[in-house]
Amino acid sequence: MIPLIKMRLLGYLRSGRFILPLIAALVVLSASYGGGRSSAASAYGTSALLLFPILAWQTKLLLDTEPDGQRRLVLTALGSRSREVTAGLLAAVLAAVPLILIALVLPWIFDAVTTNDAGAGVLLGLWVHAIVTPAAIGIGAWSSRVISGSAGRATAVLTTTLVLAFVIGLRGSPVPWLAPPLVSTARTLDGTATAAAVGGLSVWALAWAAVAVAGYGWLRRSRA
Amino acid sequence: MRLHEVGYRYSRRGAWVLRGVNVGIEPGDIVVTRGGNGAGKSTLLALFAGVLRPVVGEVYDQPARIGWVPERFPTEQPFTVAGYLSTMARLRGVGQAAVERWLSRLSLAPLRNERLSALSKGTAQKVGLAQALLVPPDLLLLDEPWEGLDIDTRELVPDIIDEVLDAGGAVLVSDHSGDTGHLPGVIEWAVVDGVVSVVRPGKRSQDKREAEA
Repeated sequence: MIPLIKMRLLGYLRSGRFILPLIAALVVLSASYGGGRSSAASAYGTSALLLFPILAWQTKLLLDTEPDGQRRLVLTALGSRSREVTAGLLAAVLAAVPLILIALVLPWIFDAVTTNDAGAGVLLGLWVHAIVTPAAIGIGAWSSRVISGSAGRATAVLTTTLVLAFVIGLRGSPVPWLAPPLVSTARTLDGTATAAAVGGLSVWALAWAAVAVAGYGWLRRSRA
Repeated sequence: MRLHEVGYRYSRRGAWVLRGVNVGIEPGDIVVTRGGNGAGKSTLLALFAGVLRPVVGEVYDQPARIGWVPERFPTEQPFTVAGYLSTMARLRGVGQAAVERWLSRLSLAPLRNERLSALSKGTAQKVGLAQALLVPPDLLLLDEPWEGLDIDTRELVPDIIDEVLDAGGAVLVSDHSGDTGHLPGVIEWAVVDGVVSVVRPGKRSQDKREAEA
């Protein structure tokens, strides 16, 4: 599976498709951190929120880089659909790492954080990005060409799902659990993040991502 | 490997491309499917490859090692010929020796550093053939294998088919050109209006034994 992950990452890099999400991440994060100083928790809560749609978009771009015919050849070479699907998702996780590192480093470069304890701040940042990334990858996978078909439908799936993820998660929503805890996490980090809140949000985010990824895997049983 | 009562359509409301397919292929068999454009030959091969799953019906005894040469090799990939085949070899769990063997045999060695996107149709088909043969396949699926190939490689394909069969594999070919018709013991299937029928039964292994006797 490792050669396939490497192949897909190399294909994504060499095709130059990584440039647009990278630019988008730099622009939105710079705009966010350039606005003034805040606690590391608050800064990272916002950056995770901003990075979420970009990570979903990047996942779609990465999965769509490989031609359909090649994905089918890979399937015959591996002889396992689950390994082929898993390799794509793991490649998306690895592709997310540089953007997350940028998000973790930028507030310090911009001198946008007031926290004295940098270590604790960065750990909190790692946690919040780690819990939103799987959900973003799940949404990106759902909008990939193999599931959504045409480019128009894929774009509609991506934008609709992302908008719903934010809207359903807003304060006062009757069904906030239908969305990944993006707004809730940012809100929690803006106030006092207790251990119980951190644990609850982690379980919520990972459970949501597990359902999204399992749904993608289930659809991929009959779609190659 | 056997397809039992298999039906396939590409979308829920789409027309059935294949219906009630009951065919099988055994080690040592060479089967040629014939049919017009859009008859469902490529879909049939994709079902045997395991790339498509039947909408109805069952697939039994799918072999472990399948080599599939699609009608159009996907060249829109940012890899060189050698880099691509090396990765496909690693996916199949074999080393660089297999890559070098097929680069040499299919006269691809001078193009090893050429990007896939720069290849002609015929050369791309050779890369498609090479990736399918990196491990000796239990089942080799050739979708219009002669399309765009140069004379030397066209002459090589029957030899490759023979080697797969001699090693105990089976070969299923979609062929417009009729180049496979002269091979001994060819079984012929016709695909017409989504229905697959056996036009000419045969058994290569049996024919060969009889010829040797």
